[in-house]
Amino acid sequence: MGASLIDYFTDAVLRGPTIGSMLMCLAASLIGVIIFLRKQSLLGEALSHAAYPGVIIGVICAGLILEDDVNDAATAIFILLGAFCTALLGLVAINWLERGFKIRTDSALCFALSVFFGIGLTLASDVQFSFPALYRQAQSYLYGQASTMMDVHIIIYGALAIVVILTTLLLGKELQTITFNRDFAKSIGMKVSAIDAIIFILTALSVVIGIRSVGVVLMSAMLIAPAAAARQYTNNFHIMLLLAGLFGVISGFFGNYISVELSQYLAIRYPGSRLAMPTGPTIVLVASSICFLSLLFAPGRGLLLRLMRVTYFRHRCIRENILKTLWRFDQDFDRDKNIPFEHILQYQSVSRLYLHCILLSLIREGWLGKSQSNVYRLTSDGRKKASQIVRLHRLWEVYLADYVGIGAERVHHNAEEMEHIITPELERELTRLLKDPQVDPHRQRIPPMNANMDGI
Amino acid sequence: MESLVHLNPYEGKTVFGFLLQFVIRIGYFLFGELSFSDLASDEIQVIVLAGVSASSALVGSFLVLRKMTMLANSLSHTILLGIVSVYLLTGAHDGLSNVFVHVEPINIHAMLLAALATGLVTAFLTEFLTKVARLQEDASTGLIFSSLFALGIILVTLLTRNAHIGTEVVMGNVDALRLDDCKLVLVIFAINAALFTLFFKEFKITTFDPALSQAFGISTVFFNYLLMTQVSCTAIGAFRAVGALMVLAFITGPALTARLLTNDLKGMLFLAIGLGSIASLIGVALSRHFLTVYGLALSTGGVVVCTLTVFFAVAALYRCSVDFSLRDVA
Repeated sequence: MGASLIDYFTDAVLRGPTIGSMLMCLAASLIGVIIFLRKQSLLGEALSHAAYPGVIIGVICAGLILEDDVNDAATAIFILLGAFCTALLGLVAINWLERGFKIRTDSALCFALSVFFGIGLTLASDVQFSFPALYRQAQSYLYGQASTMMDVHIIIYGALAIVVILTTLLLGKELQTITFNRDFAKSIGMKVSAIDAIIFILTALSVVIGIRSVGVVLMSAMLIAPAAAARQYTNNFHIMLLLAGLFGVISGFFGNYISVELSQYLAIRYPGSRLAMPTGPTIVLVASSICFLSLLFAPGRGLLLRLMRVTYFRHRCIRENILKTLWRFDQDFDRDKNIPFEHILQYQSVSRLYLHCILLSLIREGWLGKSQSNVYRLTSDGRKKASQIVRLHRLWEVYLADYVGIGAERVHHNAEEMEHIITPELERELTRLLKDPQVDPHRQRIPPMNANMDGI
Repeated sequence: MESLVHLNPYEGKTVFGFLLQFVIRIGYFLFGELSFSDLASDEIQVIVLAGVSASSALVGSFLVLRKMTMLANSLSHTILLGIVSVYLLTGAHDGLSNVFVHVEPINIHAMLLAALATGLVTAFLTEFLTKVARLQEDASTGLIFSSLFALGIILVTLLTRNAHIGTEVVMGNVDALRLDDCKLVLVIFAINAALFTLFFKEFKITTFDPALSQAFGISTVFFNYLLMTQVSCTAIGAFRAVGALMVLAFITGPALTARLLTNDLKGMLFLAIGLGSIASLIGVALSRHFLTVYGLALSTGGVVVCTLTVFFAVAALYRCSVDFSLRDVA
């Protein structure tokens, strides 16, 4: 307890797991961006599960070859090799299922991943008896256990992570071209299949180094979550790589931090239970929280802001519709221009309270006047504004009827929406195109263009 | 529990001895000399695994045909959180460790409730991310199941305070299966079989021609959700025996193998059920064989998955040779 955040980078015991997890997550997030954009996110799931039997085979080899002096670095290398081989084998198997037997991608992925995982578990149950000393280490690859990483691991994993990062950055242009436009890439003579192969190998590599801290079961999340979060903020490939990398590093650090602190807390609370929080789930939870928050709140693409924009637009439509209603009373009949509240309510499908609020704001902005309590009339500004809206509506109806050839009886509904959207430039263009028509398809008069309305 | 008089009759058998003994015991059972309470643990394993494979084969065939197997992958992960939350919400989280450590009877209702809730919540959240938050479908699937599984693992570790629980969750443990598990699995199989018999035409139409089903007024959405619920029931049934993830092999394996051998839907369903059940029997026998001959206690669930893989490989070879000879004729 009580280790400060800086201790996590300097302390001899803590820095291994911390830096290790951060490097791994960085590599995974960069590759994740590419497979995310290629819409192959679930490939990571298949590859990570396919790596599991390799981990166990690595453990068995380490146990057989090293026998007495089992050292961490050598075991780690055996495990890495094994995992890499079976991950690639998994890839080959999926390809073979798809091409050879016309099995659809989703079934091929699921079948391959579950079969590899099943074989891995069978082998693991064998390791439990033949190499009990190594069994714990083998099982820590299921959910990841960063806490046992030492400086030597950082060097091995760090080197591999740097390979992945450098290749991604060096091949940035090619990766980008292939991801977004395969045919174009082919036509300018890029070796598409070679680069595809590189992407697969890099994916396998980042999965293999990632499972040490995140584990085979949850590894796919580290490929998806940072990339999906980064996508919310940008349309630029390079910025997306940068952001995803950043999110990955943050999740790596805090996931490891939370799991260490939680394990210490549990050790104090329940001494003797030897409970160690696996790192994988906490890293994944941090990463997916970042992703969910981005999905909700990111400016531009975030759900919340999109909802706010939609609500604002609806609000504007209702305001404009109310002005239109009042204008109609104003124009069509020779009756009193003062309209009681109940009359307005009849023509709007909104609640009483909401209508009161809107009317109040319309009065404050000078479109409406209130002659007595609950009786309203248009001001002269309001009349101009309303006639402008009606003009847009009818102009659009003329356009639909004359240019698009839609029957006059069906143009109203679409115009009802377009009247809120058409900009002054578009209005000028429509007027020019339709030669400033005077009546709409329903033979109603189109109010004249109002030169000084543009700003309002 | 085995009494001392009834030693496990499969003790020390090789694979052929096991199968012979199994047939003899079935004979005894038919003539009424054995009752349910006399079932040996190997027999319980066979029943549970065969039940799981039969259910999985049914739902798996439709999933494969509807290109929805990734959904099964999601559900096989998220049922963990389902089980944990049902035990938490019903205030029975002391009973939670029973699911994993297998001491007392499990609560069948709680398990089925968990299945129902999980299926709906997973499907709903994935759809929400895809449709409302506009995330591409593969990413939202992956994101939802991995984050829910991560949450499940953390909760189950904290609640049971068992350091090895995570391993149990993915491996399952056939050796601790009890008579209750047979009941749960058979109930789930009965539900699946009944639903598929009752709605066979509807499932068939919504699978092969969604447009036509709309014209007939058969809701594809409803049958999607129904199938989803059935998948999560199946995953729950399999959970104690083969763990959270291996059930996916039971779902895809027999269905894909049967698909290689036949083009007829009914034939495919029955073939898949048969293949799955036979693989379960052989798997249990093989795992007993390894224990007897080599002294290896292999994970029985894993051995069944390996058997399923061999079945698929054989079917694939057969298919290749048929295609090859057809090409010769042509």
